[in-house]
Amino acid sequence: MRTGLFCVVALCGVIAQARLAIAQEPPPAAPPIQPPSDAPDTGLHDDNEFGPLILIESIEVIGNTATQTELIRRTLPLQPGDVLHAGDKRLREARFRVLALGFFRDVNLSMRKGTQRGQVILEVSVVERGTVVLNRLWFGTSNVSPYWVGADVGERNLLGLGIGVGFGFIFGAHGDVDGSRNQWATELRASDPSLLGSRWGLAAAATLVHGSEVYRVAGDPQKVAAADLRAFPYRRFGGRLTATYDVTALSRFSFGARAESIVTDLPVAPTLALSDGRTTAIDLHLEPGASRVITASFGFDRDTRPDPILPHAGGHVAVAAELGSSLLGGSYEYATLFARYEHYWPLLGGKHVLGVKLGGGVVIGGAPQFDRIHVADVDRMLTPRALGLVLSAAAPLDILGTRPDKPTYGDLGGSANVEYAFELFRGKGKNRVYGGDLFFGAGLWGLGEQADLRARDASWYNAMPIDIYADAGLRIDTDVGVFEITVANALGRLR
Amino acid sequence: MVAALVLLCATTAARADDDDDLPELQRMRFVERGDQLHVTASIAKLFDRAAYEALDSGFSSTVVIRIWIYPRDSTDPVAFMLIQRQALYNLWDEVYELKFDETGGRKIVKEKRKAEALKRLTSLDDLAIAPLSSLPYEQIYLLAMEIELNPVSKETLAQVRRWLSQGTGGGLDRGGAFFGSFVSVFVNPKIAEADRVIRIRSQPFYRPKP
Repeated sequence: MRTGLFCVVALCGVIAQARLAIAQEPPPAAPPIQPPSDAPDTGLHDDNEFGPLILIESIEVIGNTATQTELIRRTLPLQPGDVLHAGDKRLREARFRVLALGFFRDVNLSMRKGTQRGQVILEVSVVERGTVVLNRLWFGTSNVSPYWVGADVGERNLLGLGIGVGFGFIFGAHGDVDGSRNQWATELRASDPSLLGSRWGLAAAATLVHGSEVYRVAGDPQKVAAADLRAFPYRRFGGRLTATYDVTALSRFSFGARAESIVTDLPVAPTLALSDGRTTAIDLHLEPGASRVITASFGFDRDTRPDPILPHAGGHVAVAAELGSSLLGGSYEYATLFARYEHYWPLLGGKHVLGVKLGGGVVIGGAPQFDRIHVADVDRMLTPRALGLVLSAAAPLDILGTRPDKPTYGDLGGSANVEYAFELFRGKGKNRVYGGDLFFGAGLWGLGEQADLRARDASWYNAMPIDIYADAGLRIDTDVGVFEITVANALGRLR
Repeated sequence: MVAALVLLCATTAARADDDDDLPELQRMRFVERGDQLHVTASIAKLFDRAAYEALDSGFSSTVVIRIWIYPRDSTDPVAFMLIQRQALYNLWDEVYELKFDETGGRKIVKEKRKAEALKRLTSLDDLAIAPLSSLPYEQIYLLAMEIELNPVSKETLAQVRRWLSQGTGGGLDRGGAFFGSFVSVFVNPKIAEADRVIRIRSQPFYRPKP
């Protein structure tokens, strides 16, 4: 009785201390507050010691018909015999490791009692998806090729072994340029991103190019007239072998070797008639007849963007160096160094983003024409090369009024762009549409010969081989791929 | 063709907009006790049937709750709190182990019954959420809450997307790879950031002067 009375008194005390904060609810409707998208994760942590200790007695895989069971087992961060707490991070991540293979529409893990106390049987249930993919489509028209068309397709899980293969083919009809011919190129690729489940990967590719390279012999560099152009035929056949090593999940080293044969029928002493009446020799940067390119390469790549498709944070750094030498058996002595850096800063709660993209490279020595930097590599408003084929001779837009005869190839080039994007929408994927961004980008690009930097016969501004790049468009990320509708892309298909 | 693409964009945008759930209004109970504001609410709708069934799978179920208090007509929160709760079924002892990481520190409890385990996971019972000193009198506030079930870390999301965006190896043509601004991905499954996310907001509330 006394205890009951004490409880009532205590309860009254608590109620007296507590004061209702909503004694008067204000009538106006409140705006729908959306929690900030850059919600802090402070305090979130993984506790790998939560739950009972368990021993993985066995792992059963069900639902796979094409994919090898062993491939799935290798992907799991757990093996039979492992002892861990049931709350261990590895158990939670196992599902995502299998999903990340890209071979499955869904993956579910479950657990049941094993034969003895503390032992469990892990069951991995997968639902396979189609793995034949369309990597790229090429189509367009230009002043030197009435049309070109091609596609690159791949199978990412050959015979269920986790090996990816790809095949590309492009055909470009020739125009009226003297010496030009129909061009085509094909490529066959294979890769295993994780050899026997290790951090090492291997990729191989073989490419055959039957092309004709256009060069200018006269006329206004801003105009494209067939009479001012000539072309010479060439054939390239070769392959590249690349080994990769994943230092971390986001960083990778690569080591490569390349062997290529080039056969070309070069014109004898090609010249360019300048507008002031002078004539100058053209260096086509190829050995006449048959030659070989043998190189060794090294690369590093680190990508911290949480979403590389519609990036709103993080960054990407890539560096690649390649060395070609007669010591390796090649006909060309040269080295190339390329680097790329991009970073994204989220603004206004992450719905907007400002990105900076820098890319550049230098070619040292006597590199073959095809290894030098093409103007379409740095100016995205031009038709990009496809499987090595140059499909347009359009000059870059002369926006700044700098040097009008900007080179088609150079040994020093790069671009610096600033891009602003804002989130149009984001989905959860249940409608197979993940999101869309509207973006605007602008920047500078430059391409030149190192010799141009040492000596010039015009004012500093007029000698500058740089100009402005601008682009705007829409990016949509969907279940079936990425769609990009941009001004620069349209220009690149029509000029 | 361009018209078709624009139409596709408009359609997809409209459909995707359906996914962006706005916070749902839920009545909550606010009480001042000591120098803290306390709230009582339920987030039981976070668990659908599948999530409820998964509670006894032997794998852990994690609930992350982020709570913000905003002055009305502002988007700058005056208080923030993060809570993490975890449930795990011990297959051999046939008991639910529940772990609570909250303001008072870490607490681990055991529950025999599944329904009771769910109730404890999804109830915010007289939870201290903000010091009263950060909530001046006579100002109107809102509480917004985002609750995730089994969230995936940003690092894991990045890893999955990165693996998927890797091609099948490069050929002779370096092309514009080093200058290009974009990757093409045509096997493009995307894992969700959590099994389930709900966003709720409270009715407006304020502290009357004593």
